[in-house]
Amino acid sequence: MEELLSRTGGKVPSRERLSQLAVSETGFIFDPQTGQSFSVNPTGLIVLDLLKRGSTLDVASNSLADRCGIPAEIASSSVEAFILQLGRYL
Amino acid sequence: MKATRQKGKSWQNCKVAVTGINARAENPGPGCAVARCIQEHPQFKGSIIGLGYDALDAGLYARHLCNNSYLIPYPSEGEEALLYRLAQIHRAEGLDAIIPCLDSELQNFGRLKSELQLMGISMLIPTRDQFNLRAKNHLRTFCESIDVHAPESKALSNPSFFDSCEKEGWKYPLIVKGLFYDAYVVHSAFEAKTIFAKLVSTWGYPVLVQKLVIGDELNLAAVGDGKGNMLGAVTMRKKALTEKGKAWAGVSIVDDGLTKVAEKIVGALSWRGPLEVEVIKGYDGKIYLIEINPRFPSWIYLSHAVGRNLPVAVLKLLSGATQLELSEPTSGTFFIRHAQELIVTLPEFETVLTEGRLAPQMVQDQIIRSA
Repeated sequence: MEELLSRTGGKVPSRERLSQLAVSETGFIFDPQTGQSFSVNPTGLIVLDLLKRGSTLDVASNSLADRCGIPAEIASSSVEAFILQLGRYL
Repeated sequence: MKATRQKGKSWQNCKVAVTGINARAENPGPGCAVARCIQEHPQFKGSIIGLGYDALDAGLYARHLCNNSYLIPYPSEGEEALLYRLAQIHRAEGLDAIIPCLDSELQNFGRLKSELQLMGISMLIPTRDQFNLRAKNHLRTFCESIDVHAPESKALSNPSFFDSCEKEGWKYPLIVKGLFYDAYVVHSAFEAKTIFAKLVSTWGYPVLVQKLVIGDELNLAAVGDGKGNMLGAVTMRKKALTEKGKAWAGVSIVDDGLTKVAEKIVGALSWRGPLEVEVIKGYDGKIYLIEINPRFPSWIYLSHAVGRNLPVAVLKLLSGATQLELSEPTSGTFFIRHAQELIVTLPEFETVLTEGRLAPQMVQDQIIRSA
């Protein structure tokens, strides 16, 4: 996460911040710090679940690539874009 | 006069009066929510007496919340009139405690605290100094003294300020507030002066003007024990607003930054009684104190829902209980307010108007049968 922050300069949520989120099986997310709620699609849910459990970006990207049958580079850029998008909400 | 309160009477069996039982949808008083918190506590076996100011205060007729109800004189009639009326009610009911729920009445209740105590009626309310220090027109000074951010504000007695304020760095939109209630966002001098006149006619001078802070509005309700400790904080973020900016829907959250600010306030004032802390969490990450309300908010039923029933905590503190049995703070509990019609019979309305009290249910039934 830190290397993503230094590389992009975008707002990247910390692991602690991610661990606070309440995430349901359907992808409904509640942020207990702000009271905001939003939802993610099934692939977003896979990535968020991995990140919440402490996976690195590489592990999350590889796992997404395996489970969705997509090239590793596409999975990696998608994960990065997803994290930066999360940062705008958290 | 009714005998003074029995020593050692438990909070579960006490007779508590609650004010602020008006329930206008766009800006309800907190009284009905306070009564509901107490009535719905599984251990409460006592009764609640509703004290209203107007025959159309809905809580007067809400028998599921108030076991009996009375009219009391408006705060502008002063503490003598209030004491006279409370003594009448006490003779009939034998009150143990009162929970005042409106800013505008607190000074009168404060002045009567000793007299009421002698009658056996206790209240957990702030002292006059505590009440004044947190007042809107002193808020910025208070915030500076405890190192808490607050938006720049000014007390005004002349609306001409709004014609030249932009030259002095007060850019529109601004917030214009009444001394006790009401706050409006204004976008021009014309709008500001119209609101100024409206607030003066309703709440008198001064009118407060405040710079607008962009961010999320958070509210915290808690109880101060008078020794500097804050008990049972419940934090809420508004999810939908009425036209007056009051919460129509909200959700419980946990915000450590706001909790620390509130602890600082309660500690600095040695606050005694309920309070609501209103802040804006700015997009710059700072917490700006907007208001400290010296009573429970109208959304206080959320405290019961999250296991931190603050009105019951007040009763427990008044009865000397040391165990408040409050749950850990939790987030994610929503509320959505809804309006509902309360059916009032003609005899009920008549007795409130002519006698200033709601006829007991048994009498009501007889009146209806004989009609």
